[in-house]
Amino acid sequence: MKARYLIWIRRISQVFFLALFFFLLTETRLPQDIYLDYSLDFAIEQNIRLDHPITFFFQLDPLVWLTSLISGNIWIKGFLWAIGVLFLTMFLGRFFCGFICPLGTLHHMAGSIRPTLKGERMVKANQKTPAHRFKYFLLIILLIAAFLGVNFSGLLDPISLLFRSMAQAVFPGVGIGLKEGFDLMAQSDIKILNPLIYSGEVLVSPVFGYGYQSYQTGWFMGAIFLLLLFLNRIKPRFWCRILCPLGALLGIFSRFGILKLAKDQEKCTDCKLCTSNCQGAASPKPGQQWENSECLVCFNCFDSCPENALSFGFKWSFKSNKGPDMGRRAVLGGLAAGVSLPLLGRLDGQIHKVSDPRLIRPPGSLGERDFLELCQRCGVCMKACPTNVINPTLGEAGMAGFWTPHLIMTMGYCEYTCTLCGSVCPTGAITEISVREKIKRPIKIGSAYVARGRCLPWSGNTPCIVCEEHCPTSPKAIYLRDDVVSGPDGNAFKVKLPYVDLNRCVGCGICEYKCPVMGRPAIVVIAAGESRSIKNQILLGM
Amino acid sequence: MNFPISRRESLKRLLRLSGGVAIAGTMTWPLKAPLSVWANPGKKGFLVEGKGQTKGYAVKDLTKKVFDAAGGIGKFISKGDVVVVKPNISWARAPRFAATTNPEVLEAVIELCLDAGAKKVRIADNTINNARRCFAITGAGMVAKKTGADLIYPRSSLMRNMKIRGYRLDVWPVFVPLMEADKIINLPVAKDHVTSRLTLGMKNWIGAVGGRRNVLHQDIHQTIVDLARFFKPTITLIDAIRIMVKNGPSGGSASDVETRNTLILSNDPVAADARGAQLFGIRPERIGFIRLGEKQGLGTYDLTKLDRKQVTL
Repeated sequence: MKARYLIWIRRISQVFFLALFFFLLTETRLPQDIYLDYSLDFAIEQNIRLDHPITFFFQLDPLVWLTSLISGNIWIKGFLWAIGVLFLTMFLGRFFCGFICPLGTLHHMAGSIRPTLKGERMVKANQKTPAHRFKYFLLIILLIAAFLGVNFSGLLDPISLLFRSMAQAVFPGVGIGLKEGFDLMAQSDIKILNPLIYSGEVLVSPVFGYGYQSYQTGWFMGAIFLLLLFLNRIKPRFWCRILCPLGALLGIFSRFGILKLAKDQEKCTDCKLCTSNCQGAASPKPGQQWENSECLVCFNCFDSCPENALSFGFKWSFKSNKGPDMGRRAVLGGLAAGVSLPLLGRLDGQIHKVSDPRLIRPPGSLGERDFLELCQRCGVCMKACPTNVINPTLGEAGMAGFWTPHLIMTMGYCEYTCTLCGSVCPTGAITEISVREKIKRPIKIGSAYVARGRCLPWSGNTPCIVCEEHCPTSPKAIYLRDDVVSGPDGNAFKVKLPYVDLNRCVGCGICEYKCPVMGRPAIVVIAAGESRSIKNQILLGM
Repeated sequence: MNFPISRRESLKRLLRLSGGVAIAGTMTWPLKAPLSVWANPGKKGFLVEGKGQTKGYAVKDLTKKVFDAAGGIGKFISKGDVVVVKPNISWARAPRFAATTNPEVLEAVIELCLDAGAKKVRIADNTINNARRCFAITGAGMVAKKTGADLIYPRSSLMRNMKIRGYRLDVWPVFVPLMEADKIINLPVAKDHVTSRLTLGMKNWIGAVGGRRNVLHQDIHQTIVDLARFFKPTITLIDAIRIMVKNGPSGGSASDVETRNTLILSNDPVAADARGAQLFGIRPERIGFIRLGEKQGLGTYDLTKLDRKQVTL
């Protein structure tokens, strides 16, 4: 086939998968037109679920499959896609990186649209360097750590990284900007603007929603993402060549590839156009040995060679390709670091002593040890959550649980009849539960307590019943007792005082979210009492 | 009338800033203040009560019959009106728990309005739970889809500071669609509430404002009356097909619900609530906001002063 066609097939594939990724990312939320059929209300139990296979890219990702298998001993939903990718990689090389990976496509664009480096400097930037070994080092760390029970792979897995960066930083960032604009125009009171902002807001709402979505440490995710994009200006596809652990895994599997680059040294005029256009720094120039495991199968060298000295073709042979250049230090270092990380991660006592009271996991989450074996830190649950309560952790889950999901009740609350997060989790770290199960068992995520010093009626300031009113259980876990407290002037003052019944409280946090004492509410939910833990209980017999 | 002063003021300010007297003509986007077409103070109030007694009666037919007894929907809704229906869909609860307005009643009312020639029917409620989920679960979403009514997603850009000029509330953010309506139909569900005792028609207006609603409970009765004096609905229809008798206002259990198969239609917000209270076996004057409502001239809880009708199906 002519190289030009191959290039275009690659570009179309890249655009298609990038668009698919963004489509599925956008669809990771309650659709606008979703509704349950109320005429079936008495007949059947209905659960709200998303229509689209939004975890498709995670199913396609062999690193997600492999780490959850060796870490949690779980065959994740749709793992056959990942096996399919690995199988094809054995024959076609890292075609996933060149044709499918949406993060790779973004890096490709960032590096090749009006590149900063020109001529000889670009050729120099595209030489293979020992730094390429670093990705194997990272891969080995991730695999060993996963084997020892802490799955860090999501921090560096390209699909998780891209989803997280987009869903928790880029989209909310743009959304907040737009929303501020709309609110500003709504306040301006120029009548013409009103219908304009109304339709404008409706128009962008399928992607950005109507609220100010915000995430703890979102700025950091965004900064890392921008930095990674910027690095492409210094070295094209810096991430793919040097950092990506999935690329490393696929590189190892490309060992037996039959799609090979054939070089014709006679025709080569040493113009170095192939190297200048090479995405993977895989030494395509005749005279150098082609680095099969670094090649991203972009076909640029094939296309750019003016002398037709290079061509890709299928060639069966019993001799395997040049193996990945891992370097012994990278392997040994990876082993040492991989063993150390899970041990370091347990030093903060989160698992063995007592976990942080703020570490409130989404409903249906596995116990902490199992959770850390499976959680990809991809942020799908955070994107899907309709109240924006699920946020990435900073220190709440310790080092081992950095950026895993937890609930911040001042940002939102867990809606009593919602079970969306479990239904979208790609690895099952949050198990899928039904509304019935959530309410009947019940699935508790924590327990509320009244901070009497701050509580308005308890402190004798003013009557207030907001926490009781919002409490969603029936009978209510927050109950009121008529009582007399002393007011500021010392007079007796009749109020209703809130109390929490720990047997009924599920820790949903709506009381904390709606409490008029904002910032540090007068009723607070802590993780104790969560049903996922046997140890972290308050009452006997729960 | 409580005209939105803030808008006029800010307009003036903007005009001064831009010196744009010339563009003044373009600023007449038809924003109508809520028209006070409800109970003419001189006219006698009425109260129609519909009861479904036969087994398997259609809620829709009952709704229609109630409106017919009051003189037909055409008496309240004119051709070309923009009608805003304010149901109570605050909680993401299935209709069977009676935490939200019965979707069949909602659907029937919207259809009646459209039959009467309404240009546009909007469903507007500033929900407590996530609005998208409330729309999906309470049945409002399906009703909107079936009838073609607009379901307005509450959001900060649609909250505008207005002079409430109440005893307790002075300036408060109000949900804009209600300000832009020709006619407003208040469509609450009757249920239990801990501080105000009951959630009926007048309390439904808490769902028509934005801002920090969690401080309103510090003086709930006066707040309710302040809002009820600001929002003057064309008509109030209380849904008491199923009522929530305990664990209000969120409920969530079948044992919290009793079936009453009743609809209460009135142009007097106080009277409608008074009759609603009786359904719970509570004397109207025992409820703070009903008593205050009468005292502050909003209507009467003395039901003998009204034209009363009862229809059954």
